[in-house]
Amino acid sequence: MVKDELKKYFEMLELPPDASLRDIHNSYLRLKKLYAGDSIVLAPLGEEFPEKKRKKVLDEIEEAHLKLLAAKKDEPSRTAFLFEDALSPEKASSQPEKAVDLPTTGPSLRKIREKAGVDLSEISKEFKVRIELLKSLEEERFEALPEAIYLKVHLKNYAVFLGLNPAKIIDEYLQRYQAWKKKK
Amino acid sequence: MAQTTKIREGEIWAVGGGKGGTGKTFITSSVGTYLAKKGKNVVLVDMDIGGANLHSFFGISRPQKSLTSFFEKGASLSDLVVKTDFDNIALITGDIHSIASDKITFSQKLKLFRQIMKLNAQNVVIDLSAGSHNNTLDTFLIADRMIVVLVPEVIAIENVYHFIKNSLFRKVKKTLKEYGFKEIAQHIWDHRQNYGINNLKELIDYLKDSFSYIGTILDHELASFKIHLVLNMVRNNNDILLGASIKSVMMKYLGVPIQYSGYIEYNDAVWKSVREGRPFMLNYMATGCAKQIEIFVENMIKGKDVSLPVGF
Repeated sequence: MVKDELKKYFEMLELPPDASLRDIHNSYLRLKKLYAGDSIVLAPLGEEFPEKKRKKVLDEIEEAHLKLLAAKKDEPSRTAFLFEDALSPEKASSQPEKAVDLPTTGPSLRKIREKAGVDLSEISKEFKVRIELLKSLEEERFEALPEAIYLKVHLKNYAVFLGLNPAKIIDEYLQRYQAWKKKK
Repeated sequence: MAQTTKIREGEIWAVGGGKGGTGKTFITSSVGTYLAKKGKNVVLVDMDIGGANLHSFFGISRPQKSLTSFFEKGASLSDLVVKTDFDNIALITGDIHSIASDKITFSQKLKLFRQIMKLNAQNVVIDLSAGSHNNTLDTFLIADRMIVVLVPEVIAIENVYHFIKNSLFRKVKKTLKEYGFKEIAQHIWDHRQNYGINNLKELIDYLKDSFSYIGTILDHELASFKIHLVLNMVRNNNDILLGASIKSVMMKYLGVPIQYSGYIEYNDAVWKSVREGRPFMLNYMATGCAKQIEIFVENMIKGKDVSLPVGF
């Protein structure tokens, strides 16, 4: 992505251009809550800041979040060790375009997390989600997990926290979840 | 305006914010004391006309000299500087008796600003009155650092918006006047319905779009319009986050950049300290409040936002 364009998205989320994935996520949640809710900060403005304008701000926040997540997934993160092989000069020159194929099962996610030195309590605190739920997610104890629509959000948060691409993880994880549900 | 061109080395900071009782005087005295502790030569000016009490934060109960002499007897401002018992801090006490803010003439005001700029100090910190009177706004606008104090309450937030909006409008009008377009901003604002303008930002955008030379002037002059926000008397993380929300809304609604420079927690020690008549920053150095004032001032100097609590 063009650098200027990225800068614009960082500005939309009110972040400096060197903000981390975590900053991006925090800012996104904070702003979304502000402009979607009934904050006392907006109340005094009344019609000077109408619903239409709020909607536009919310759309911009969503767009910026998605664009920055996409841009960030190519950057070194806490899970950079996963890509080390691909990034080392010799290998990079022979197969420059090859993406690292990450496994997306619960246990493999746990391995990645442990290798990154992230404790479940950190994720739990960050997203206000119970540790037991995260454990069930890693152990793929589907019966203990919430409906797909909520599960998706937890998977996304988990992936984002570790600096992984959420799309693939959500996709493959949910496939297994749906298969289990059908059998049941 | 030509009369207020900079002719000195020191910096002027002004502390305002609209609502009364938010702690402007406490912040002024504490910021001043911290700067003095850092070795700066500081003069505090109490411009809270009618409600002056900055002197009591330094244990002075009946000031010998005050701004009254400036307004009524034409005394020079530098002769009204009173030493305090504390190193590097002097002050000009406010007018407790006679003068009403709207009695101050235009030429008195210009003279006052000129003399404030000539004060022999590395840092001048001005404590402003509550409200958004034009004299208050004009004093606010001469400052190098414009500080707005807020407490986490709806009315205070409303007043701060009003204060910032009025300051910005005043700045726009003054700027245009200096360049010879005296009435244009007010005229368009008074007839804003005809122009399809709903708020100040749209007025500024309209002016910029319609007259490219005005756009250049405003861009240049408004680049220096940067407000430092400090949230006083916070009690929890949600209160702290209000500052970030206000910053966001002011940018998206007015296009005004705000630096959320600091927050200060609620602490009864502040009231105790006033009763004891010693500067808070000297008496209660070890409190969270005092640390937060230091962080606030350092953030202002570095042009940084305060870090927000994590995990909200």
